[in-house]
Amino acid sequence: MITVENVSMKFNLGIEKDFSMKQAFINMLLRKKTNKESFWALKNINFHIDKGEVIGLIGSNGAGKSTLLKVVSGVMKPTSGKVTINGVISPMIELGAGFDQELTARENIYLNGAILGYSKSFLDEKFESIVEFSELRDFLDVPVKNFSSGMTAKLAFSIATIVNPEILIVDEILSVGDIKFQEKSKNKMMEMIKGGTTVLYVSHSLESIKELCTKVIWLEHGQIVKIGDVKKICDEYYKEQMK
Amino acid sequence: MRFIKDILNNFKRYWFLITQLIARDFKVKYKRSVLGILWSLLNPILTMTVMTIVFSQMFKFNVPGVNYIVYVMTGIIMFNYFSGASTGAMSSVVQNFTLINKVYIPKYIFPISKCLFIGIDFTLTLIPWLAIILLSYFGLGTYTCNFNIYYILLPYIFLCMFLFTVGMGLLLSCISVFLRDIFHIYGIVLTLWNYLTPVFYSTEILPGTLQKIMKFNPLYRFIEAARSIVLYGQAPTISSLVIIGLMGLTMLLLGAVVFKKKQDKFIYYI
Repeated sequence: MITVENVSMKFNLGIEKDFSMKQAFINMLLRKKTNKESFWALKNINFHIDKGEVIGLIGSNGAGKSTLLKVVSGVMKPTSGKVTINGVISPMIELGAGFDQELTARENIYLNGAILGYSKSFLDEKFESIVEFSELRDFLDVPVKNFSSGMTAKLAFSIATIVNPEILIVDEILSVGDIKFQEKSKNKMMEMIKGGTTVLYVSHSLESIKELCTKVIWLEHGQIVKIGDVKKICDEYYKEQMK
Repeated sequence: MRFIKDILNNFKRYWFLITQLIARDFKVKYKRSVLGILWSLLNPILTMTVMTIVFSQMFKFNVPGVNYIVYVMTGIIMFNYFSGASTGAMSSVVQNFTLINKVYIPKYIFPISKCLFIGIDFTLTLIPWLAIILLSYFGLGTYTCNFNIYYILLPYIFLCMFLFTVGMGLLLSCISVFLRDIFHIYGIVLTLWNYLTPVFYSTEILPGTLQKIMKFNPLYRFIEAARSIVLYGQAPTISSLVIIGLMGLTMLLLGAVVFKKKQDKFIYYI
């Protein structure tokens, strides 16, 4: 389903550091590479995910979890290495990234749906269930800029989960909305998992990882520390963090 | 062949997104305005009125033998399309960075949808433009324009201009990712370009060398081709039709190649 081979990702830190026209010109003349500090967000990552597996990604802040999700979902091309995907991906890296604040909820459902690659007929058909799930029927014609962050997230979650994707990429979203909605969104995820969706899931909540995942990848400093059994690795990770 | 098929397939797949992006631009642009889309019609009429008064009354500009109002208006609507669309396309990629950073979308969608959005505006300005031409029959301006069979060539001319603009938009939006200075630079370039394009004057007042250089100005070519039809009732020469087609395609190709080559690097320059 997903195969990641020798993937590395390099960022240049401080691209504008010490930048001056004079220096840039001199460097150009001397054909010298500017010595930018580089940073490896991912280093030699290898793993394989089969259909129907639910993979949890854990690691401290800045370990490279989000970068890995971006590489898998195609937002970023890796500096080296190869990612092979079989199936349709539904990326939920940041909910509501495609919202236009000026537009109403109704208009944003269509805009965001189009961004996620849905067709018009599909959206027409599913419009009702999106509205139903989001619990925002009374606010359909209100511009999203007047929404609370919880409301925005609810709307975004409802749009993103309306499809039954073959691969679902989730970055910390189960903590969206009020308790009732959290429960609802968790059930929705469970439903998708039961339906055979492959999931790549990032969370700092070890409980929800233990509850949902079949396998865990522990990332630290852009490298895989451990990969495998959920309970064992989660406990080790917890111990390591608490040291 | 496969390359072209891929592009067409991609367009089919993302057409709905393009229409949604255009719809967004429209809604945001005319939000809270009383006259709304009517501004697309009023704006060129008012601009044209001001320009005509300034240049024919204050500066005593005239182009002998033709209807000066139509002459100016043809130049203005075409140049305004180019400057509006290329400027909009230039900032489109940078503006949508948050989106590009979160979801995979082909990035060329943004400059192209901008050019199409301004293109709808341009199409609307053709209504007052044709109305002015019609009014010249009833005594607006000194000379009468003639509707003629060659009007069927106008869509081709506008298409060439559109392709040229898309190419320019792709190129500029790509540069803007790496060099934000382009926003300032291009503003100046456009002002210069505007004066170097005979929008309100005739090339005949220019010295000989400048007239020769003018032939390399694609916008002059596009505008001149349209003018020869509406003002002189003559079809542009075959060679000039071929040249404007080549100019449009060359720019499009240049923009597309540069954009394609650099697009994977965009993400590092946020």
